[in-house]
Amino acid sequence: MMKLAVLVHNLRVSLLHIENRLLQVAGLDRQLAPALAVNGPSLLPQPSREDEEQQSSEQPPGIFDSILWMAAPKKRRTIEVNRTRRRAESKLIKVKTNIEPCPECGHLKQKHILCGFCYTKVRRETALIRERINAMEGGPLRAPTMETVIIYEGERPSQQDKDKRIVERARKRPAWFSY
Amino acid sequence: MMFPPQLPDEPRRPAEVYHCRRQIKYSKDKMWYLAKMIRGMSIDQAIAQLEFNDKKGAKIMKEVLLEAQEMAVRSHNVEYKSNLYLAESYTGKGTYLKRIRYHGRGMFGIMDKVYCHYFVKLVEGSPPKTEERTSLDQAKEYVQGLKNRTIIHGL
Repeated sequence: MMKLAVLVHNLRVSLLHIENRLLQVAGLDRQLAPALAVNGPSLLPQPSREDEEQQSSEQPPGIFDSILWMAAPKKRRTIEVNRTRRRAESKLIKVKTNIEPCPECGHLKQKHILCGFCYTKVRRETALIRERINAMEGGPLRAPTMETVIIYEGERPSQQDKDKRIVERARKRPAWFSY
Repeated sequence: MMFPPQLPDEPRRPAEVYHCRRQIKYSKDKMWYLAKMIRGMSIDQAIAQLEFNDKKGAKIMKEVLLEAQEMAVRSHNVEYKSNLYLAESYTGKGTYLKRIRYHGRGMFGIMDKVYCHYFVKLVEGSPPKTEERTSLDQAKEYVQGLKNRTIIHGL
C-alpha cells in the first residue's frame, strides 16, 4: 500500500516539473517588467536542487532498499516440520502428580489447594450467616464494636461469650462447624 | 463395532464403548494436546487430570468421559465403572463458519469460527503397560541392526 502512495507522489512531481518546463519554453512564467536582457541559452537550468532535497527528506532514505531487508519466509514450512515443532516434548501438557482425594468429603483436590467441594459448602453457610447479620444491623457501617458469636438451635451462649454479640441461626449446628 | 458371536471356548473379548461429541466450539489443534495427554490412561486418572487442567476443552472432555462411563455401565455390559481405560482418543475438524475480519485501509480477511469433534473409545480392563524405550536403547538397537548386515550365500 505504501508503494502506491510513493508512485502517485512521484507522478505528481514529474507532471509539475514537465508543466514548469513547458511554461518556461513558452516564456509565460516570467512576469513582464523592466529586466536585464542577457544573451544566453533560452532554457536556463532550473533551481531544482532544493526540490530534490525536499523530496528525499520526505521519504526515508533508501526506500527501495528497505523492501529488500524486510524478513519474509523463503519456502512453505512442510507439515512434517510443523508437526515436529508443535508436538515437541516441551509443548505437550504435563501430567500432574499432586492430585489426591480430600479426607473430608472424598472429592479430588490438589495437595496445596483447598478442596473445592468443602470450600463451596462453607461459603454457602457463611453467606446465610452474613444475610442474618445484615438483617440484624439494618444498614451499612452499623457493626457493633464487639466480637460476634453464632448460636445454633438448642445452644446457649457460654461464660466466655458474655460480652459478644449473638447471631442466632434457626438450624442444627453443621458437623464441620466446631465451637 | 459389530463382531460375530463368540464360540464358548474363545477367550472373553473385553467390552468396548465408543462415544463422541460433535461441533465443540474449540480448536482441534488445542484439543489435540489434551487428547494426547489422556491417551492410554485409566478413566479415573484421565478424569482427575482433566478436572485440574485450566483449558476450556478439559471441561468438555470430562463431560464426554463421564457420559461414556455411564453409557458403558448402563447399556454395554460393563461391570465396574473404574475398570475402563482409554484405548483411543482423538479430535477431528468440525464444519467451520466464515466471518469477515476488518483490517485497515479497507482491507479485509476471512475469519474462521472453528469447531471440532472429539472421539473416545473406552475398553474394559486395566490399561496396558507400554514399555519405555530410552534413546540409548534405541541407539543400541540401531547399531546392532547395522552389525547384523551380511551377504547371504557369500564366501
